[in-house]
Amino acid sequence: MSVKGIRLTGTALAVLGLLGLVLVYWLSFFWVSTEVSQGIAQRIFYVHVPAAWTSFLAFGIAAFTSGMYLWLRDERLDRAALAAAEGGMVFATIMLTTGPLWGKIAWGTYWEWDPRLTSTLLLWFIFLGYFMVRTGTENPEKGKRFAAVVAIIGALDIPFIHLSVVWFRTLHPDPVVLKPEQPTLPADMLTLLLVSLAVFTMLFMGLFLLRYALENLRAEAQARSREATA
Amino acid sequence: MRKVRIFALSLFMLLVAATDLAGQLPSNQLPTQSLKPYWHVFIAYAIVIVMVLGWVVSIARRLTRVEAQLGE
Repeated sequence: MSVKGIRLTGTALAVLGLLGLVLVYWLSFFWVSTEVSQGIAQRIFYVHVPAAWTSFLAFGIAAFTSGMYLWLRDERLDRAALAAAEGGMVFATIMLTTGPLWGKIAWGTYWEWDPRLTSTLLLWFIFLGYFMVRTGTENPEKGKRFAAVVAIIGALDIPFIHLSVVWFRTLHPDPVVLKPEQPTLPADMLTLLLVSLAVFTMLFMGLFLLRYALENLRAEAQARSREATA
Repeated sequence: MRKVRIFALSLFMLLVAATDLAGQLPSNQLPTQSLKPYWHVFIAYAIVIVMVLGWVVSIARRLTRVEAQLGE
C-alpha cells in the first residue's frame, strides 16, 4: 500500500474512531445501567479497560514488528514498531491515570503497590526506556536494534500483567470478560464494553497508520536531503 | 366485640409504624451525598479526550511539517 493509501485508511479509521468515542460517551452517560455497589464510578471501567486492551495490543504490535526487524532488518518494520510504541504509551497513560481515579472511590486510595498495578507501571517505564534508547544512542542503527530488544522484553510483561490477578492475591478486580467461564457482566454493560473496545481499537489503528505514514514520509525527506547534499 | 378488635389492630399497626419512624434519622442527621464519584468519572473521561486529541494534533502537526519539507 502506498503512503497515500495508508494515510487515507488511517484518516478514515481515526474519524470513525472519534465518532465512535462520542457514541461510547453517550451510551455510558445515558443508556447503560448504573452498577449497584460501585455507583457511577463504575463508568470509568468503559474507558479504563479498553485503554488497557489497546495499549497491550499496541505494545504487542511493537514487540512483534521489532522482532521481525531484528530478523529481516527491514526499516519499515522499525517504523511500524515506533508508531505502535507511541500509541501504546498514549493508551497506557490513559489506563494508568483512569485506574487510580476509580481506585480512589472503590478502594479509598489512588495507588497500591499491588502486582497488577506495579507490573503495569513497569510496562510503561520499559516503553519509556524504548524511546530513550532510540534517541539516546549515538549510532541510530544501533539505537533501533537496542530499542527493538527493549520492546520485546516489555511485551513479555503483558501476559504477566493479565495473569497477575490469578497468581497473586491482589486488590485489582479479576477479569470479567477474558476468562475460561462466560463473561459475568450484565448484557447492557457487556455490550457497551465491547462497543468501547471496538472503538478504542479502531481509533488506535487509524492513528497508528497515520503515525506510520509520518515515519515513511520522514524517511523519504531524509533520503532526499542526503541526495541533495551528495 | 368486632369493633374492639379492629380498634386494637389499628392501634397495633400505628405503634409498629411509629416505632419504624422513630428508628429513622432526623433529616439533619442523614448522610450527605457526595459528588466526588461524578468528578472522578468526568476527569477520567476528560483524560481520554485530552490524550487522544493530543496525539491526533501531534501527528497532524508533524505531518504538516514533513510535507512542507518534502514540498521545498
